[in-house]
Amino acid sequence: MTELYLYPVWLRAWHWLNALIFLVSLVTGISMHFSLGWLIPFEVAVPVHNASGIVLTVSWVAFIIGNWVSGNGKHYLINLRSLPMDLFRQTRYYVYGIFVNAPHPFHVSEEHKLNALQTMSYVGVMYVLMPLLILSGWAFLLSPSLPETVLGIGTIWIVAMTHLVLSWMLLLFLIVHVYIITTGETVMTNMRAMLTGWHRERGPQPERAGDDAG
Amino acid sequence: MSNRYSCPDPSRPAADAAIRRPAAGLAVFALLVLWLAVPAVSGAAPGDAAKALEPAGETAEEVPGIERDDSPECMRCHWMETMAYRDRDTRKIVDLSIDRDVYRHSVHADLACRDCHARGYKHYPHRTSSADEALHCVGCHAERGDDGAPDLTDISLEFQESVHAIEASRPFDCFSCHNPHTFRPVEDGAPVEAVVATTNRLCLDCHTKLDTPVPKGHEWLPKPREHWASVRCIECHTPVEGRDMYQPSHALLGAPESNRNCVECHTQGSELLSQLYNYRAAEQREQEGFFAQALYNDAYIVGMSRSPLIDRIGLALAALMVLGVIAHGFGRYLAYRKQRASR
Ligand code: HEC
Ligand code: HEC
Ligand code: HEC
Ligand code: HEC
Ligand code: HEC
Ligand code: HEC
Ligand code: HEC
Repeated sequence: MTELYLYPVWLRAWHWLNALIFLVSLVTGISMHFSLGWLIPFEVAVPVHNASGIVLTVSWVAFIIGNWVSGNGKHYLINLRSLPMDLFRQTRYYVYGIFVNAPHPFHVSEEHKLNALQTMSYVGVMYVLMPLLILSGWAFLLSPSLPETVLGIGTIWIVAMTHLVLSWMLLLFLIVHVYIITTGETVMTNMRAMLTGWHRERGPQPERAGDDAG
Repeated sequence: MSNRYSCPDPSRPAADAAIRRPAAGLAVFALLVLWLAVPAVSGAAPGDAAKALEPAGETAEEVPGIERDDSPECMRCHWMETMAYRDRDTRKIVDLSIDRDVYRHSVHADLACRDCHARGYKHYPHRTSSADEALHCVGCHAERGDDGAPDLTDISLEFQESVHAIEASRPFDCFSCHNPHTFRPVEDGAPVEAVVATTNRLCLDCHTKLDTPVPKGHEWLPKPREHWASVRCIECHTPVEGRDMYQPSHALLGAPESNRNCVECHTQGSELLSQLYNYRAAEQREQEGFFAQALYNDAYIVGMSRSPLIDRIGLALAALMVLGVIAHGFGRYLAYRKQRASR
């Protein structure tokens, strides 16, 4: 049995708050986008979405600062040399190994709490998609101050399409994210870690240790 | 029917002339008594005092049609607001009353009753009916071109392609929307809201069910009432190509072909709207301070982010992903059972 304290309070608090704000943005956004008055009345959805967008910005900045100050950011550094192999192993596990009860190719440690796929997707989401989404959201808010056109194309249209595509991508991420957390050692292992801070798992079983090496 | 430009009560349904208020009838009656009491009739009836539009000195030729020839004779009866009957075949109320003031202001104001109605009406009961007269806007205008009646052939052709001409179950013609006794096109230079209001009123008088917060067929359109007040139905319900900037198209489109592309109106590129919009947002920001403005800013939700293509791709991917996740989860469950069994 290994027990690691991986998620300090601030990180957990941030994670769940961020999740909440993200969900609020998502639901109000969907409601406005498809004009689903029954989901959330339009008059409510607009200010709520604007507010949650602003809070989401704050949340993102907090995440960056938190990572920087606490050193949590190290988990998002990509090791380019081992990346291809790690990715391959992790992917093979998800598409094949997991169905034949192969052992996890990756084991959480103080140094590495994210496997290669997680690192890649979280870096993509938190350092690329999220800031772009936030930027496009702010571009909407400040649209009257933007130039009418960029390279002959309506600025607002560019902003709108960026915002739309990013939202869809993040929705897709959310689906996968929610599912992937159930693929820990048990269905609840990862979830519990994000709730309590403690990552608990039985140690690698002796007869399978060979598979794990490397 | 639709006395659109000077209708005292715009909420009065044009298609249903039976709804008449007794008070209004009384008022007209009082006016009539006054009118009879004043011997000098020519154009100076008290009811007209407010109508400064009329030129003061009129020659005999320019006497308004309603006071010329035997028109006053006809108006002895046909002024009555409540004059109407229910048609046996169509079950619709046929309104027989003519509002003098509205008539005077219509495009046909110079015409006397008998310029259009044959003389069979001289005596009551009439020996003819308007159905037998075969009066048509287009036909009459073709015949009376010399008298200054404009050619309506283009409009007629457009109308013949319209969804009303093709699909409506009851006979549908120009008179369904225009009453020859009241008709006057909305004026050039009238404020946009007024143009929109009169034009849409015309449609909504029949399509009464659309005057609701969630009109049928328009569930996808946020704030329909605001749209009804700021754009004309025909903006979306006529073809975009070949629009005449000065004459509303009569080629009304059916539901499937109608325009629903928000971006056509709500873009920076759409001069009318984006300019209005940006102006508004900038003004608001000055007034309410930056954060209040940012919070209530609604420049963006206005449908501009709609892209059916992206949405379709997004939905398809999301659906695939959910299916994939379910399949994956099921595979894991099977693996888990196998593992348990093998222990
Ligand atoms: C004595 C009253 C009276 C006078 C005067 C009168 N009408 Fe009428 N009119 C009626 C009534 C009542 C009806 C409805 C019954 C009917 O159709 O006979 C009617 C119907 C009509 C109709 C509609 C017919 C239809 O069935 O569609 C027209 C058109 C008309 N009148 C025109 C005239 C004209 C033009 C004059 C003047 C030359 C005139 N009327 C004078 C009483 C009158
Ligand atoms: C520009 C031509 C024109 C003039 C002028 C005109 N009418 Fe008509 N009138 C029509 C037409 C066309 C119809 C038939 C409308 C329809 O079928 O709906 C009609 C119908 C009527 C009707 C039947 C009710 C209805 O709406 O169908 C009455 C009553 C009537 N007219 C009375 C008069 C009187 C009274 C005058 C004079 C004050 C007059 N009209 C002047 C064209 C005219
Ligand atoms: C029986 C003949 C007749 C019928 C029916 C008729 N009109 Fe007219 N219309 C005229 C005549 C004649 C004039 C010219 C009057 C004038 O200039 O004084 C005219 C003038 C007009 C004008 C004004 C043009 C201008 O520049 O001032 C318009 C618009 C018009 N009609 C539309 C219609 C519509 C719409 C209908 C059908 C609802 C209709 N008319 C039915 C005879 C008719
Ligand atoms: C479905 C309703 C409808 C029908 C049917 C209809 N119109 Fe119109 N018409 C309108 C509307 C809406 C307008 C624009 C508002 C206005 O000017 O009153 C208009 C405007 C007009 C105008 C004024 C155009 C201008 O320059 O502003 C004329 C003339 C006209 N119609 C003639 C006709 C003729 C002729 C017919 C029959 C062939 C006809 N309409 C049938 C709805 C209709
Ligand atoms: C005289 C009454 C009347 C007026 C005025 C009228 N309509 Fe209609 N409209 C109808 C009828 C009747 C139908 C056929 C209804 C049906 O089949 O469900 C129809 C059908 C339609 C349809 C097609 C609906 C479908 O299912 O495809 C559209 C769009 C439409 N109208 C728009 C308008 C617009 C826009 C105006 C104003 C310029 C207008 N209508 C004015 C009576 C009217
Ligand atoms: C923003 C564009 C837009 C405006 C403005 C608009 N419509 Fe429509 N309307 C549509 C479209 C698109 C459809 C087809 C919807 C569908 O089939 O899903 C439609 C459908 C309809 C239908 C058929 C509804 C049914 O029962 O299926 C009618 C009737 C109609 N419109 C009338 C009107 C009238 C009257 C007005 C003005 C008060 C109006 N529309 C304003 C775009 C518009
Ligand atoms: C025919 C042009 C037209 C089309 C098409 C159109 N709109 Fe509008 N819309 C307007 C106009 C004009 C206004 C009023 C703008 C104003 O008051 O500043 C408006 C207002 C709105 C508002 C209210 C904004 C506010 O200030 O409260 C919303 C939301 C909106 N539109 C969304 C949409 C969506 C979503 C679509 C596509 C499904 C759409 N519109 C299609 C012209 C259009």
